[in-house]
Amino acid sequence: MNDSALAAPPVQAAAATPPKLKVRDLNFYYDGFHALKGISMDVPEKQVTAIIGPSGCGKSTLLRIFNRIYAIYPKLEARGSIELDGENILAPGYSMNRLRSKVGMVFQKPVPFPMTIFENVAYGIRHHERLSRSEMEARVEQALRSAALWDEVKDKLKQNALGLSGGQQQRLCIARAIALRPEVLLLDEPTSALDPIATGRIEQLVEELKHEYTIVIVTHNMQQAARCSDRTAFMYLGELIEFDRTEQIFTKPGKKQTEDYITGRFG
Amino acid sequence: MSALYLRRRIANWVALALSGLATLLGLAFLVWILWETLRQGIAALDLKLFTKITAYGEDGGLANAMVGSLIIDFIGIAIATPIGVLAGTWLAEYANRTRLGEAIRFLNDILLSAPSIVLGLFVYTIVVLPITSLTSGNTTFSGFAGGVALALIALPVIVRTTDEMLRLVPSTLREAALSLGVPQWKLTCQILVRAARSGIITGVLLALARISGETAPLLFTAFGNNYMTLNPLDKMASLPQVIYQYANDPGDAMHALAWAGAFVVTMFVLLLSLASRFVLSRNKVSHE
Repeated sequence: MNDSALAAPPVQAAAATPPKLKVRDLNFYYDGFHALKGISMDVPEKQVTAIIGPSGCGKSTLLRIFNRIYAIYPKLEARGSIELDGENILAPGYSMNRLRSKVGMVFQKPVPFPMTIFENVAYGIRHHERLSRSEMEARVEQALRSAALWDEVKDKLKQNALGLSGGQQQRLCIARAIALRPEVLLLDEPTSALDPIATGRIEQLVEELKHEYTIVIVTHNMQQAARCSDRTAFMYLGELIEFDRTEQIFTKPGKKQTEDYITGRFG
Repeated sequence: MSALYLRRRIANWVALALSGLATLLGLAFLVWILWETLRQGIAALDLKLFTKITAYGEDGGLANAMVGSLIIDFIGIAIATPIGVLAGTWLAEYANRTRLGEAIRFLNDILLSAPSIVLGLFVYTIVVLPITSLTSGNTTFSGFAGGVALALIALPVIVRTTDEMLRLVPSTLREAALSLGVPQWKLTCQILVRAARSGIITGVLLALARISGETAPLLFTAFGNNYMTLNPLDKMASLPQVIYQYANDPGDAMHALAWAGAFVVTMFVLLLSLASRFVLSRNKVSHE
């Protein structure tokens, strides 16, 4: 079974995919503390890249640099380069507005805005585009359908989003992010606050969304990484230990540390 | 039952009994105050209290003082609310964890505990005296000056609650909005203020409750007036000031009027507090 999974086609497919994000010698500092050390990796386009590693290894930190959300806090500094379609997003001139319309993010805890379900999705679109009422309705419906939420909420779009269940709220947050038609979708432990059924739906959704978006998912759940990613990066103490095709990482890891982690010897 | 478990249960009973006792003590005083003001003021608590003015003395009511109080309180809140909400927003969203922000938060806390008579005297010097000299003595004390004095008392309350309510909004909500590319000002006005709205309204209502009982800042500013006036540039009566004045009068009928006025103020404050609880609890329900 392992042999068939390691057969030629997926390797070539992975290799043939151009990198969407090119990370080069990335270092990150929290008020002087060296949190990420010389990370270099190519995130392939329209695939799911999982980042795993024990708590505090820097996986969320890395994700939060991809849309520069870290920059809202003082005393944090990123050095190195991350090219998105060939342009360095860490360059001072790179427009934050543009970056965030291209790179969407979903957080660990679902955080709907204190407004209606419809408005939650329309809110971000309205900031970037001017749409007529009917166009907006179509966009919101499309986003909710893509997030597999439409059937559950189509009759209560005018209700407060805070009334939805946790799993629904998280799918609403995904709808809100993909409503902007980003190219990259960052998921920061998106299922850690959800029950197994809601988690299953989100994973299924990730599988469907990767046809249109480049997805980077941070997870502390190794089964999740194995189930829904094409590539897996293992991080430890701020360093990228190994980055390879997911089957490779989980069946024949190249490094001892990776093997120890995925076999549960530490973590 | 093990000895340890028994000991914990006893400690639990003792703690529960003590806190219950403390609650009863606090409540007892509140009920006592309400009961006493009602008992002493019941003789004057009639329609006349709300229709006649203080010019009639013991045959009059408190109509002009009630209207005056409403106008002065309204002016105070109208001045303090926009400034307070904006300042609180700035503290929480733009100056949080900066040295300047901490300094201003500290100064605001000092203003919060400043003696109200000092604020009254301050407004006397910066509002009453200049207006007096500008109008050659035609306008001196005024309801407006009283409103400014009360605004200074309400302001730090509103700043503090707005600041705290906004800081209670989880930072993930900020990150979620900013990661959609929404700029800080839109995030603040359209999302954070909405998320903290009920807390901010509660702060304004509490500030109103606080100022509606203030006497000292009005003595040198609104001064008092035995006649009804709606003009904020006139000397203006207010309930606390009339209560103070009537309480110093030797006549029993005047004392009854003062007690009735005290009852009205107390009920007003109680209702405002209940209203603020209602606003807050209604919002909590909708969050679940």
